[in-house]
Amino acid sequence: MSVASKAKRVISDQRVILLALTVVLFLFFGLKNSAFFNTDFVLYPLLRDGAVLTVIGLAQLCALSIGHLNLAVGRMAAVAALAAGSAYQYLHFSLIPGVIVGLLAGSILGAVTGLIIVKSQVNAFIVTLAMDFALLGFVTFIYVSFTGATAAFITKPKGMDYWRNTSLHQYCIAKLCGPSVFPMMLIPSIIALALVGFLFARTKLGRELLATGSNLRAAKLSGIPVDRRVIIAHTFSGLLAALAGVMLAFTNGSFTAAIGSQFMLPSFLGPVLGGTLLVGGSVAVLGTFIGTMLTLVIRQGLSVQGIGLETLNIALGLVLLTALSLGQIQKMLVSLRMRGRG
Amino acid sequence: MKKSLLAGILAIALAVPSSAFAAGTPNFSKIKVALVPGGAHPYFQPWIAGGKAAVAEFKIGGTVFNETGEWDQTKQNAAIDSLAAQGYNAFGIFGVSPSDINSTFASLKAKGFAVGSLASCPGGYDIVKEPQKNSADFCLSTDTGKAAYLAAKSVIAKMGGKGNLVHLTGNAVDANTIRRMDGVKKAIAETGGKVKLLTTITDIDTDLQTATKAVSDLMAAQGTKINGIVTTAYNPAVAATQSVAASKLPIKVIAIDDDAKILAAIKSGVISGTVVQNPWGQGYVGSWVLSALGSKACTMKTPGLYTDSGSFLVTKANLSSYNATRTAFSKALLKSYQTKYMTCK
Repeated sequence: MSVASKAKRVISDQRVILLALTVVLFLFFGLKNSAFFNTDFVLYPLLRDGAVLTVIGLAQLCALSIGHLNLAVGRMAAVAALAAGSAYQYLHFSLIPGVIVGLLAGSILGAVTGLIIVKSQVNAFIVTLAMDFALLGFVTFIYVSFTGATAAFITKPKGMDYWRNTSLHQYCIAKLCGPSVFPMMLIPSIIALALVGFLFARTKLGRELLATGSNLRAAKLSGIPVDRRVIIAHTFSGLLAALAGVMLAFTNGSFTAAIGSQFMLPSFLGPVLGGTLLVGGSVAVLGTFIGTMLTLVIRQGLSVQGIGLETLNIALGLVLLTALSLGQIQKMLVSLRMRGRG
Repeated sequence: MKKSLLAGILAIALAVPSSAFAAGTPNFSKIKVALVPGGAHPYFQPWIAGGKAAVAEFKIGGTVFNETGEWDQTKQNAAIDSLAAQGYNAFGIFGVSPSDINSTFASLKAKGFAVGSLASCPGGYDIVKEPQKNSADFCLSTDTGKAAYLAAKSVIAKMGGKGNLVHLTGNAVDANTIRRMDGVKKAIAETGGKVKLLTTITDIDTDLQTATKAVSDLMAAQGTKINGIVTTAYNPAVAATQSVAASKLPIKVIAIDDDAKILAAIKSGVISGTVVQNPWGQGYVGSWVLSALGSKACTMKTPGLYTDSGSFLVTKANLSSYNATRTAFSKALLKSYQTKYMTCK
């Protein structure tokens, strides 16, 4: 492949366009108001929130890979946080065992959801929507019944605040310390990105999941156990939703019923902006991170400019629409150029 | 007794204007106060006027009202951070999540900002007994349990001390809602079984449409059994007012807050009254206290102190005078901060 065609391929990659747009907007907001470059109040929290939302984006991406939607990602995160929180409060678990309890709860919920979809043959949209309602009731019932007026599990295991407040700056080799803008919360997110990326890019299982999403019948005919793949995809989705739920609880400071209630939209925004297909068969793991960061940069950038709620949401919608249309615009430009040459 | 106490407070408030405080008036010009509700809700709108009144009266550097939290703790934290980056250095906050907001307060305090918890206190403990657990400098909020008790007592009196009562309220997993439910139950318990709590409907304060549907369903199913309705959240209050007017059933209603529809319904006799809170006072008093703390002119005698921002029963009789009573209460409360709750240079 020539250098020119390689360059053309890189430039036409949606992730590159998205990254360029994110960087341009980042610089634009910073140059307009230097407060946007404030490490403590803007950049560090931006990356910390991005870490959590990237993981919930990956949870949705796992379901999208097989052409399904998981409308219960938020509530799965809530149940995982509930499980971890109750383990800390009543069983006095330390940090990591509590996290494992949360992840297990999310994985089991995901697996059960997948199993229901396979056995009932009902559309994943309907099953996960029903699951969302059922879990909403369950989570509310548990918090109201067990925590009284607090409506939260507030026991903090040792080390929980560390994840909320600490940056890589704490760690130095010789006199060289990590950047203070890099939140520790980004580390589980990077691990999740690496593992999910490896799954879809390098493993047979990943390819089979994508094949299931791309064409269910063809996948079945080629010998892929599609039912098991559906269950596995939803198990991964539940596991990652659980991780996001526990990360959010660590970030916010307690385990409440509200965890995950705002996850639905960001769970789609990151992957879809990044290039994951809603119909399945193609995923963009790194694109999920870039897409998530783009939405956060826009939101926080506008917020630092002091824009009010209504204007903020209109501007956010317009910029996201433009970002989503970029791929289409680019295709149009290419075809116009081709026609000009022809 | 209660009347004489109120008269006393009013007399003090009117005799000593709050701006007369201070041997040397503190300089608040470098303080920029951010008032940050959890999201958009009509309840918080008077914060804007309260903050502006304090800025004008006490020469505070500036004030801003930011409602971009959208009832999400993460988004609210991001909004607060962006305000801090813009140079705001004193924060009056209604936390989206009562159990999480203490962590946000602690982070802000660690960075040297003055922080007040407005309209709600952090959850997870009894703030009256353990104010030191409040990571904010103070909490200025309606005593929601007391306000609900006041409303329930009032509607029970209008019901003639007997019958079936319905309670309409907000989010079931919110600590304030649980206190409201306890307040209503306490008033009912005092009737010795003469009043029964027919049902408590929660989670209908999200918007007026949700509340209206819930109240319409209730009226259709059990309207004739209901003798009284007590509402302790804004949207259900407006919905109950409209539904009772439409149904023409002899149901006594005590609403909450002072939406124009509620006040009109009291005036026309459709509902018996409402319990109004004091968001203007929270913005006004809160802004002064935050400025005094931020400028280091004063310190809290009891860090994390809780004070009731007041709740007032409004009926046809005091419809025209309640606002003046509420403003005077706010001025008296400010005086208490200046002379009793804080140590000033």
